[in-house]
Amino acid sequence: MIAQVKPAGLLSGRLANFRLIPRLETYPKVVAFAQTAPGKVAILAAFALGQCYFLSDLFSALPLTLIFSLITFMPEYRRFILAIAPIIFLVLETYRDPALLGLNLAVIALGILLYCCAMRWPKSRFGQRPIAFLLSGFTALIFIACAATPRSLPHWILWTLVGLLASYLWFIAYALSDRNSMPARDLTIELTSFRPLWGSTNTPFPKGAAYLRRIEAQNPEQLAIVQLKGLKLLLWAILLAVFQLMWNRFFHGSLHIPTSAEALALSVQGRPVAWHLRWESLILAFFELILSISIMGHKLIAGCRMAGFNALRNTYAPLFSTTIAEFFNRFYYYFKELLVDFFFYPTFLRYWKGHKRMRMAFATFAAAFFGNGFYHFTRDWQIIRDLGFWKSLVNYQTLLIYNTALATGLSISQLRKRGPRLPGFFRGRLLPAFGVGMFYCLLSVFETSERMYPLVEHLRFLASLFFIHF
Amino acid sequence: MKGKTEIHDFVRELLTNSGDDEPLVDQDSLLISGRLQSIDAVEIVVFLEENFGIDFTRIGFDREQIDSIDLIYALTQTTAAGN
Repeated sequence: MIAQVKPAGLLSGRLANFRLIPRLETYPKVVAFAQTAPGKVAILAAFALGQCYFLSDLFSALPLTLIFSLITFMPEYRRFILAIAPIIFLVLETYRDPALLGLNLAVIALGILLYCCAMRWPKSRFGQRPIAFLLSGFTALIFIACAATPRSLPHWILWTLVGLLASYLWFIAYALSDRNSMPARDLTIELTSFRPLWGSTNTPFPKGAAYLRRIEAQNPEQLAIVQLKGLKLLLWAILLAVFQLMWNRFFHGSLHIPTSAEALALSVQGRPVAWHLRWESLILAFFELILSISIMGHKLIAGCRMAGFNALRNTYAPLFSTTIAEFFNRFYYYFKELLVDFFFYPTFLRYWKGHKRMRMAFATFAAAFFGNGFYHFTRDWQIIRDLGFWKSLVNYQTLLIYNTALATGLSISQLRKRGPRLPGFFRGRLLPAFGVGMFYCLLSVFETSERMYPLVEHLRFLASLFFIHF
Repeated sequence: MKGKTEIHDFVRELLTNSGDDEPLVDQDSLLISGRLQSIDAVEIVVFLEENFGIDFTRIGFDREQIDSIDLIYALTQTTAAGN
């Protein structure tokens, strides 16, 4: 069974075993009940009710609950149901706009075609490096769309295609990378991963079909356990969402501490808030980002687990991280995995093999600087459409600094000799965790309203935290 | 040429450095289970390159190949047979 490793040595004894939500999946009686028909109904009903917290009403939760019910009672059809259901939903959502529906289906067909080509001709130039071809082709499409006359039909078609392909890009990339994995010829699970029923961002949750195959529940007991874990994770998401609400009311409502975006905006306007408020807004923003990403990831992975896939959490105890690299791994696991799979490993395995440190640093920059930059630059394709390619690249300057600092921090973190942790809570845990938190807090200055102000405003805000004014 | 014991010791050290002192069985999933991180996979790759002469650019890389001590050992044997 898949289990993320809890940071050791921080807590001990009864406190370490305390759980806000009991580990239901470890209680034999609960697992046995979850395998019965009433138990399955109870889990499905509880999950549907839980989803209502994030949806407008119970009715909105019904389609997904219906699919989960089919999978729960007919697990042998899981892959088929998960492959077909999202396409049916897509047709229902877009049938009033045949052009959009057609383009959506065309992008899915393109993904399947590329996947089949990579499988059919593994020794061809495309088969050898399909991801490079895919990303280059997508970049070329953006350039072609930039050249189209604004407000013309080709302009509309090309940019709609760019938008659709941008949302499917990394799903197709995972399908193409799946060609090395055996058995990889099951198209139903490839389709499942193309457009996951449980939802996703542009980052595939949780990765591609190869990963889904490895974590799929194989018998009724495993399905019961993974669904209980899914239900627990949804409950976690709700608890965190409630906590987030209280947090915002207390810090921003009652104490009137500005958000980091507000603090930066006031600094740009020449009316900076007090020094301590600038720091407070930054520190709060750090925790708020962790909360938002946790809630989003927990909701998605909870759905994935309900479908019978025991995926790892997206965010797992990030505040226990003692290195910059560990935080990056614990904070947004599936985005980190995307960068590692498509940028870090290919670079690491190919270049600078004779220079260990250079090899690591180069691969880290390929992932955290280039890969991260490419992902966000193309994700925000509307900005490229509205500003044009070069202006949008200039508009991206603050994030380039962010990526450079992140890649440098990660490189140093990974190059430092790893060894057993220092003994003691203060030296071994608290001090390193504080340093990691401080690094990401300061880094977030370049992430706040990153497209709104010139780089110099972000630098000015950063310097003002240390009493340097220019 | 190193054997399974050396692979086991190496993986054990990686786990210990990650703060994982749980028992380690040769069939245990290491990467897919989340016990080891991607950076640890890199350490395993370098270990295999240096000690077993495995060239991943030639044979292709998939984390599933190195997900347990048994799989790592099997990979070293296959590659040795291929050479």
